[in-house]
Amino acid sequence: MTRELFEHLYAGIAPWLALALILLGRNPRLSRTRIAGSLLLAFFLLRVPVGGWHLFAWIRVLEPSPSFTLTGLLGIALWQRLSGTKIFRARDWRATWIIGAVAALVLYPLGLGLTSMDPYTWGWDRILPLATAATATLLLIVGNRFGILLLLPLGGFALHLQESSNFWDAAVDPFYAAVSLVMVLFRFVPEGKKTS
Amino acid sequence: MSLMLRVLLVASAGLLCWGVVREMSPMKVGSFADATANATEAKLATPLFRHELINPAQNLPMVHVAALAETPDGITSAVWYGGTAECHPDVRIYFSEREPGGAWTAPRVIMTREEAERDLARPVKSIGNALLLANTDGSLRLLFVTIAMGKWSGSQLNTCLSKDGGLTWSRVERLTLSPFFNFSELVRNRAIPQAGGGWCVPIYQEFLGKFPELLWLGERNGMLTYQKTRIAGGCSTFQPALIPAGEEYAEVLTRDYTSARKIHFSSSYDGGREWPFVTATELPNPDAGISGLRLSDGRLLVAFNDSAKDRSNLTLAIAAKNGEGWKRVAVLENEADASFSYPFLMRTSDGMIRMAYTRKGKAIALTSFNEAWLNERELQSPKNSKGGTP
Repeated sequence: MTRELFEHLYAGIAPWLALALILLGRNPRLSRTRIAGSLLLAFFLLRVPVGGWHLFAWIRVLEPSPSFTLTGLLGIALWQRLSGTKIFRARDWRATWIIGAVAALVLYPLGLGLTSMDPYTWGWDRILPLATAATATLLLIVGNRFGILLLLPLGGFALHLQESSNFWDAAVDPFYAAVSLVMVLFRFVPEGKKTS
Repeated sequence: MSLMLRVLLVASAGLLCWGVVREMSPMKVGSFADATANATEAKLATPLFRHELINPAQNLPMVHVAALAETPDGITSAVWYGGTAECHPDVRIYFSEREPGGAWTAPRVIMTREEAERDLARPVKSIGNALLLANTDGSLRLLFVTIAMGKWSGSQLNTCLSKDGGLTWSRVERLTLSPFFNFSELVRNRAIPQAGGGWCVPIYQEFLGKFPELLWLGERNGMLTYQKTRIAGGCSTFQPALIPAGEEYAEVLTRDYTSARKIHFSSSYDGGREWPFVTATELPNPDAGISGLRLSDGRLLVAFNDSAKDRSNLTLAIAAKNGEGWKRVAVLENEADASFSYPFLMRTSDGMIRMAYTRKGKAIALTSFNEAWLNERELQSPKNSKGGTP
């Protein structure tokens, strides 16, 4: 029961952060009341009954436990929004989206059956946490802060905070993957075209 | 970042990775328990054949997808689902059992949509295909499909355990088997025990593609562990029937989703890890479930709908170990405009071959026969014949 409770609590963090970010809006001036109100309202919105279930339960139908990477990114985005300080610089975000896009392109087409090779099975093997740790180490050596965020999947997976026992689900989820692909396609590709 | 901080973070990455990797001792994948080990009584000289209904008094608009299991004390159990229609919210999973020489017990509900919702703490639209695994300690593991949204493409696999012969069940546990919102993994055919413990369960995905996979179930420190391997990708064949011969060699027969409308065949020489090719056999398949079994002489037995168009007959055929030279030996059901579907073959410890199937969508039928009966039928059937009714 304790494990299910922690899984449940962890699964609620990402939707809560995402809702709070939406409620805070884009106004650069945030009062304490607005901040506290948005955080509380986001929590209570997740508890709103819809068809006999809380909104959070309906979110879990689609995404039972978001990746630690997404949860960390939402946490950073919220912190940046509240404090006004840049935790992630442009190059940190660039690494975030590029690595997310590469993971998405490797995982989803093949994982959903494009060929007989299934990279999703790597997530039950040691190769994927090793690759994640190696990537984090490389990023940390060059001073990229996304390397710090990549420690979250390793820590979260070790603590069994997700329903899944596959390391891919600790590192990537469809939301992080989709945003990464969009960012790479619409942000970096045009930049590349301009410079060339 | 200061150099000291970077060093500390890199050390943290190493430590965390070590913590994860240490726990991730890979599961034993491959190697099956000897499929013919329980076939000692298979060569009974007297041909035996029996036909019955498991749920004769069950009056439901629809029942479907039966599965059988036999516990070490010889009790045969059956599960199936029933309700208004497939994917309907009122679908429930039913259970019945029979002691050796006894009669089938009245069907009782062992899983409902509401129970799955309660244990999973989220809404479930419906439940469906179920499979029973009889462990050597006498416990029964139930694998079953829940539908989150849509139809079968929006489904997930779940499991729970009974240690009292199916009276009570443990909390339902969701298996995460697919990277995209865990869509959509299903069970259908018989699971095979692994040499040294654990199970290999034929599963399939039907989200963007339809393709066959294998789920490897085990246990570590009292916790369920699992992973899967793929037989083939694409959108061509699914619902594999796994038929091993020894620890390393295995064959699968799959339901067709292509325009060829043929049962497909593949083989593995490394305990089910690699399946180099999938080819069409000469047997037709109307995009319907099939089931297979290894006979004591090593040949393949398949139960299938002998048509490329409909499910109006249910036929048995035998082939050599490599899936060649199919010979129809018996037509068990044949009625125009009727449906006989989703056969489930297994061999019980008394050597009898049992086949459960959906009869006209209203009943779960059970046909039992032995190899002497099959041999007798085979002698009466010329090669590639259409067989004959028993």
